[in-house]
Amino acid sequence: MEPYQEEYIANLKEISGLAAESRQELQSFDAFLEKKLACKKRHEQAVERNMTLLRENLFPLLDRLFEADGAELANLTEFAGVLFDGRNELDIGLFCQIHRALLSRARVQKDQNAMICELYWLGIGYNSLCSKLLGLDYAAGERYTSQMRLCFMEAAAYLKYFDEISDSGTKGYILRSRANVSLGQFKSPSEKIRLVKYTLQILQDKWYQEKAPELPWSRFIYMTHLQMAASISRSREKAMTPEDIAAVMESVYVVYDQQWAQAKENGQHPPVRATFSYDSINYYCGLNTLDELLHKMELLMDRAEENDYSPDGVYAMISLPAFYCNFLQENPEKLPERTEYLESLYRRASAYVAGFPRASENETLFFALRQLMLVFVETKNSMSYGTLLERLLIRFMPETYVHSCTVGKAAAAFCRVLLGEEPGFFDDMDFIREITDFREKENAVTDYARKCGLYHDTGKIGLTNLYALTARQWFEDEYTMARLHTQLGGERLANQLSTKRYAPVALGHHVWYDGSSGYPETYVRLESPYRQMVDIIGLMDWLDNVTYTSYLYTGMQKTFEEAVQEAALLGGKRFSPLLTERLMDKALSEKLEGVFKDSRRQACRQLYEAAKNPTLQ
Amino acid sequence: MDREKRIGAETKKGYLIVESGPDRPFRILYADRAACDMTGMSMDELLAVRTPGAVPEYLESIPVTLDASHRLWILNTTDSRLESEAELIRMNQKLEEALNAAEAANQAKSAFLSNMSHDIRTPMNAIAGMTSIALSHIDEKARVQDCLHKIQTASAHLMSLVNDVLDISRIDSGRLSLNEELFSLADLIHDVTVIVRPQAAQKGHSMKMEIGQIYEESLIGDSLRLRQIFVNIINNAIKYTPEGGNIQVRFSQYQARDKAQDAKDCLWLDFVCQDDGIGMSREFLERIFMPFERASNFTMSKIEGTGLGMSIVKSLTDRMGGRIEIESKEGAGSRFHIEFPLTVMPGNRKPWNALAGKTVLIAESADPLAEKMEICLQEENIRTGRVRNALDAVAWLTQAKSEGRMPCALLLGQELDDMPVFELAAHVRQSAGPDFPVILISEADWAQMEYRAARAGISAFVPCPLFKSRLLDTLSNLLEGKPEDGEADITASMDYSGCHVLLVEDNELNQEIALEMLAGSGVHAEVADNGADALEKFKLSPEGYYDLIFMDVQMPVMNGYESTMHIRTLPRPDAQEVWIVAMTANAFVEDIRTAREAGMNEHLAKPVNLEQLREILHRQLGKAKKE
Repeated sequence: MEPYQEEYIANLKEISGLAAESRQELQSFDAFLEKKLACKKRHEQAVERNMTLLRENLFPLLDRLFEADGAELANLTEFAGVLFDGRNELDIGLFCQIHRALLSRARVQKDQNAMICELYWLGIGYNSLCSKLLGLDYAAGERYTSQMRLCFMEAAAYLKYFDEISDSGTKGYILRSRANVSLGQFKSPSEKIRLVKYTLQILQDKWYQEKAPELPWSRFIYMTHLQMAASISRSREKAMTPEDIAAVMESVYVVYDQQWAQAKENGQHPPVRATFSYDSINYYCGLNTLDELLHKMELLMDRAEENDYSPDGVYAMISLPAFYCNFLQENPEKLPERTEYLESLYRRASAYVAGFPRASENETLFFALRQLMLVFVETKNSMSYGTLLERLLIRFMPETYVHSCTVGKAAAAFCRVLLGEEPGFFDDMDFIREITDFREKENAVTDYARKCGLYHDTGKIGLTNLYALTARQWFEDEYTMARLHTQLGGERLANQLSTKRYAPVALGHHVWYDGSSGYPETYVRLESPYRQMVDIIGLMDWLDNVTYTSYLYTGMQKTFEEAVQEAALLGGKRFSPLLTERLMDKALSEKLEGVFKDSRRQACRQLYEAAKNPTLQ
Repeated sequence: MDREKRIGAETKKGYLIVESGPDRPFRILYADRAACDMTGMSMDELLAVRTPGAVPEYLESIPVTLDASHRLWILNTTDSRLESEAELIRMNQKLEEALNAAEAANQAKSAFLSNMSHDIRTPMNAIAGMTSIALSHIDEKARVQDCLHKIQTASAHLMSLVNDVLDISRIDSGRLSLNEELFSLADLIHDVTVIVRPQAAQKGHSMKMEIGQIYEESLIGDSLRLRQIFVNIINNAIKYTPEGGNIQVRFSQYQARDKAQDAKDCLWLDFVCQDDGIGMSREFLERIFMPFERASNFTMSKIEGTGLGMSIVKSLTDRMGGRIEIESKEGAGSRFHIEFPLTVMPGNRKPWNALAGKTVLIAESADPLAEKMEICLQEENIRTGRVRNALDAVAWLTQAKSEGRMPCALLLGQELDDMPVFELAAHVRQSAGPDFPVILISEADWAQMEYRAARAGISAFVPCPLFKSRLLDTLSNLLEGKPEDGEADITASMDYSGCHVLLVEDNELNQEIALEMLAGSGVHAEVADNGADALEKFKLSPEGYYDLIFMDVQMPVMNGYESTMHIRTLPRPDAQEVWIVAMTANAFVEDIRTAREAGMNEHLAKPVNLEQLREILHRQLGKAKKE
């Protein structure tokens, strides 16, 4: 790699380390805060430096990529490989940018092998982006899934010329692309299973094997069986056909046998993941009832060791409870007799995360928790969904937590002023209009505002690499993806009874007041009874972003006074004129500036407390 | 005695025998009863008459000489007074009938006014109400905008009510004349589809528009009135079918079966619209064509309408020499069948021979549309390949390219099994290159998706219902590189000959590649090696010469930002207006902002993405050409 590439990578790693460093428990809150600010400053410096490195070195190379020499291309490919190797991700956005450029070059130069290789890696990059949108409505993430699948399919189409291709690396890319076409979400499990089945047929075909004996065929086949085993639909509504079940069953048995044999050799239990696949396929093919499956899952979860922090341990402690919740969501009649057990599962999971060493830096744990978040089942005595979200923010996205608390408190302060002037200001919301006592109404409104602030950006959970670990400003594609946080948050909050009320705020806080711009289109201001609160959170979010938070991603930073002036100019267009008019009151804007500052500090204190005593959260 | 009888009695002839001579004085010797009635005198009075003048003058008498002293007077029945009276009676009868008719008409009009006042009041209320709301929230732009949208909708409805009333009035007074103009059946049906489809979608109906056997598409007739008829019938089907219903519309042609009508230049256009809506009662069916008639259940169901639509349809159909049949059953839907004789404009069709033997790939999951495409192509000996999903399409095209057997075009339908068609189009545009024709065939409104289609690299659009001539003309024009007329064809706007583009780029290879990409569009592209060179070229060019500038950012001598800033400050009107696109690998959102701040209009990431380049050309130069 070139020196600028090495420096860029080093900066990425440092930024990742800074996130952990800023959470370290220190003797006092002031020391904690000082450390945090220092880390933030260092993060900003690293981002600045990275931008310079890319502007001065990478972009000029991409600019003249068509005449780049072999060494430069090799360096670039190596650099991209460190940014993302298919598993570990340092900068997926830049990875895709580089491979898109290399693919364009290969197409123009009609270099077939290079084209296949670049299609494969670009597909891998898109797959990583798709995984961030897990839980989002299929249609919203379809663009990314389609791009990924089209790349893999184009590369896989060269399978027809397998024996004409001499380069074994290229042959490997073709086969892996063929298998990867079935990655990601599908409209129906059958579609996915059909594709995996076809891949298995190819991989098991002796003709292909003889044409490239040097390739790791057994590994390819085993990996494809793993992929097939993971194709089990958790939803009865998307039930698989008998042929699908037979195909999945075969793969599950292959995987289970291999893992069982391996575990036996090491004197261990078979891995939980394989056992669960085995049990659930028995349920799907009718060998077991759902009660029997749930019972077997309970046994697996009970057997899990609470200090096993390996991927299998995370699977047993967090992922398996997520699947358990999924079954209960799909079959609510099974819930009453399992409520207590479910509550105990949550307690265990919570304790497990609290004891997890360097939990905040563990991606496997994060993805498992996100999975649990998506299928969370609230019960009377369980933690609330809101609490789960708050904990995830504190642990994995502390900056977003600080921002959210700040926005919530500033919004509450602003609401108090509005209510003082116009007590019926929020009466479009039924639950506020019903309250006749002013104090009671004021408390309800301010409490609602605080929580709206706290939850408005929970859609960012899942887009952590964009927000928490960003190492440079965003590219346009990333900016587009970041916009999905409104839909992600809105959909998740709307799915739970206790947080349903906050969903419109998460969905609509980036939509412009006059509807002329912003996102997403699914929020229609005039149709929402919550619009006054959405307007307030939208304004407070913007003020905090442009004055403090989003500089890292967008390079835009203003003083509070500048921001207020600009907000006023945008009154009636981006922001509600009812709000911007009041914001022009100097006393109020100064008060708000103070609230922003104090709230940020208070939120940092909460982070400090959480770092000091992780078991509390 | 009634009047009729009396007149009948009084029309008998009367007879008098009169005696008179030189030696005998005038006297009446005999009078019959009729004569008494006619003269209004009794027998005695008549016999006492001694002068001829005593007989009323109005009685014409025909004297018949009996002898020298005696004559027979035959009194004539044509009494003008009685005639007048009889005429008066007849007129009174007519007046009475007219009065009855007027009263009946008045009753119908009163009923109509009563319905209309409700129908007019509804949108008027909306207009008045929304205007008040808008005025009281004048500072809230979003609220005002919402009100204005509602006012717009209500006004449009009101306008259609008034138009119906005016139409029926023109028809009634015989002032409606039909145009005899050349029109395209394909255009007519497309227009109808664009109008009715959104309304059907709004009610969640499944609407199938089918095209049967079509002999000739260039016809002579009044296309506006035909459109009015079709839209009226289909709109009724939409209105009177509960949400989620099924509506089938079919157009076809047949040659005249009747010998008398068997003119070579005449074809019958057959239109059928069938729904599974609320249907009509037998009683209502008998009155359906009467003006102002609406079935009682329609008014009950608050469906808006004047009750004039079907009357207009019937009158227009009659005027065109057409026939209309309706079958309907309450609760089971309705079927409207209309036939019109239309004059054919014989063959000005272009030959498609050049397409024979070529291959086209069809990507569409729905069989009916794909089969229709296949039939259109195969009839002209064009070979077809068919895939149902995007992944198969990509595999098919990749292998075809490798084997040097690329199809001459990709026809993209409306739906694929696995992903949206635009995702496939964008990928194919990248993998198959800038000149490969990708044609979209869709029922959707082109105006609604033009922007996205251009971005995805769609070359041309053919609307559904699919007409063979449109498909083959589009294909033929794309392959000949000859643009087709019509707004829906992107290729038409991809011919930018006469447009001037300045490419500012220091890297020679990049220059070459960009020029190659621009070459297919017909633009006249000039190259500047750096920002200073670009500035000089712009200064020396005549005003309005450059339509578009692609500006690299990092360049020796003068960078793209500086060059743009200098251009923008030049004292000539086009310096502010010329569209400048930053073309750079610097792709951070901040870079995009910096480019805008320098005066550039937009940003294109490097290496140049053909899809985006194409979209910019389409958007900017298409506009320049229109201007």
